[in-house]
Amino acid sequence: MSIDFDKKAPATPEAPRKKKRKISIGHYAVNGWLIFWAIFSVIPMLWLILAPSKTDRQVSYKNPLSFASFHGYVRAWKNLQDFNSGVLAHWVINSVTYNLAIVVFASVTASLAGFVISASRIRFKKTFLISTLIMMLVPPVALVIPLFIEMNKVNLIDNPLSVILISSLYPFGAFLSYIYYSNTIPPEIYESARLDGCSDFGLYTKIAFPLSHPLLALLAFFAFVGNWGNYFMPYIMLPSPEHYTLPVGLGALFFSTPAINPGNGATSVPILKPEIALAGILVAVPVMIVFLISQKRLIRGMLAGSIKE
Amino acid sequence: MSKGRVHKPKNLLMIAMLSPYLALLFLFGVLPLIMAVINVPSKSPSNPNGGWHVFKIVLHDFRLVPAAWHVLGFMALFVPLMIFFVVAMSLMLDTDTAPWKKWVRLAYIVPACISGSVAVLLWYVLLEPTLSPFKGVMHFFGITQATQIWKTSNLTYILVFMAFLSLAGQWILIQFGSLQSISGEILEAARVDGCTQFQLATKIKLPLIRKYVIYMGVLVFAGGLQIFVEPQLLNSSVYHGIAQQWSFDQLSYSLAFDNGNFGEASALSLMLLVPSLIGALLVIFKTDMFEDVNFKSPKKLAKEAKKREAVTA
Repeated sequence: MSIDFDKKAPATPEAPRKKKRKISIGHYAVNGWLIFWAIFSVIPMLWLILAPSKTDRQVSYKNPLSFASFHGYVRAWKNLQDFNSGVLAHWVINSVTYNLAIVVFASVTASLAGFVISASRIRFKKTFLISTLIMMLVPPVALVIPLFIEMNKVNLIDNPLSVILISSLYPFGAFLSYIYYSNTIPPEIYESARLDGCSDFGLYTKIAFPLSHPLLALLAFFAFVGNWGNYFMPYIMLPSPEHYTLPVGLGALFFSTPAINPGNGATSVPILKPEIALAGILVAVPVMIVFLISQKRLIRGMLAGSIKE
Repeated sequence: MSKGRVHKPKNLLMIAMLSPYLALLFLFGVLPLIMAVINVPSKSPSNPNGGWHVFKIVLHDFRLVPAAWHVLGFMALFVPLMIFFVVAMSLMLDTDTAPWKKWVRLAYIVPACISGSVAVLLWYVLLEPTLSPFKGVMHFFGITQATQIWKTSNLTYILVFMAFLSLAGQWILIQFGSLQSISGEILEAARVDGCTQFQLATKIKLPLIRKYVIYMGVLVFAGGLQIFVEPQLLNSSVYHGIAQQWSFDQLSYSLAFDNGNFGEASALSLMLLVPSLIGALLVIFKTDMFEDVNFKSPKKLAKEAKKREAVTA
């Protein structure tokens, strides 16, 4: 069954006039509450987007949802660029490169795993599926300290490879791929291709891969959304500022500048609330854009295996 | 027979294709646990002779009980609030299919991209009476000073507020998605039988999306138990000392990186992993969430196929 967000509601049977009016009042109350919550949901993001247009003083005293000038963004961007000899550029580049590597590596390994589990009759399939599901349901934060110990043993602390490799374990992606391949490619196709002399690798490259573009987009989407804003793992694994990602860098800006806490003392470059908000935009807006474009995919993916396509 | 010989190399290729993921699963899913278990009895300042009684030492750590109270208080508010609010909102969204609801759904997803350090920044602003877009409302209730809000005793409520606003929107959409899987015929039959919207929601839709609600409950519970980023950043950057070792994960972090006591940190991590594992196993085996997943081994499948063949013959 497909998830149709815009399906037409079946016609309601005629109801007595009195009852109808009662429903209407409730209906308006429900809709009013839904709209109120929608407005409430966007206000924080609106504040974040509008704050860098103001000066630090204006952020405190002007209407929080007002716009000051485009020059404000330029000034905040310049200040951020000048902070600690342009370390922000490193954070942006790190975030982009780490995420790119994670998205590619995680999507490819997960897609291959899902294909093998759906198309082959290898042993320990059950163990594999259960361990994947367990890894999917256990929050990644739970393993951070044990992972630190492991990475420390192999001298990968403060090496971006630690974050890239750990984050490339993508059990949710493997499960999603398994469901996708099981539902879209009937086993008979593999069987007839095998009879035609196709190797197992050929089954993937010639049959499964060409049909899996929607799956790969979904895998890349979830891998990106899950890792772009990740704080704890890079915070623990990459202690040097030049290896920080944007979310960790934003945390460092809180810590080392008087933007949020005046007790932190002044910095040579003014890093105040507008600058912090602009750094926040750099972290939040890419995810927001991806979210807004792909909200239907998000839901389908999150319920993978339980709602049939 | 030759058949077996033909299949062997094929399976090898399949295993080769699976191996990158398998390696990651072993290296970063299984091995860390083994390392943590090995690390637990290692010698440390609090456990000079080493040994497994480190679990006992962790349980007697004077910071554990306050952290447990904080996290339990947080969970007691956060988990039911999330479940109740998300289910109610998704049922309300599902009452009709007005075109404007598309935009409402789009708005609900916006806070989902505000997580971790950005969440701390934004919710700090939201709750700061001098900066907040809601400062009018706060002033109306007599909240004009930051000190009225930012104190350790309020931290549970502040963190519930942060976590709830960050997560509720995306779960509303996910539960709304699950409501779309209910057959229109069932709903129509209920309407014909005279069901009101409220009865339809509580008596028909809610029982039908029960497994998704349990799924959400388990993920929200497991995630809440491991709260770290928000109290850590509030404590280290916004208001120093407001959330010192406030949560289990902060305590585990402090044991490892402030005290250099990786034995105790590993023991605590393993103890925290148990409820998450139980939750995961409950979802997998005690709900029909993953009913489409074929857990059966090839041997069992072959046996079943033979049985079916015998019956049809």
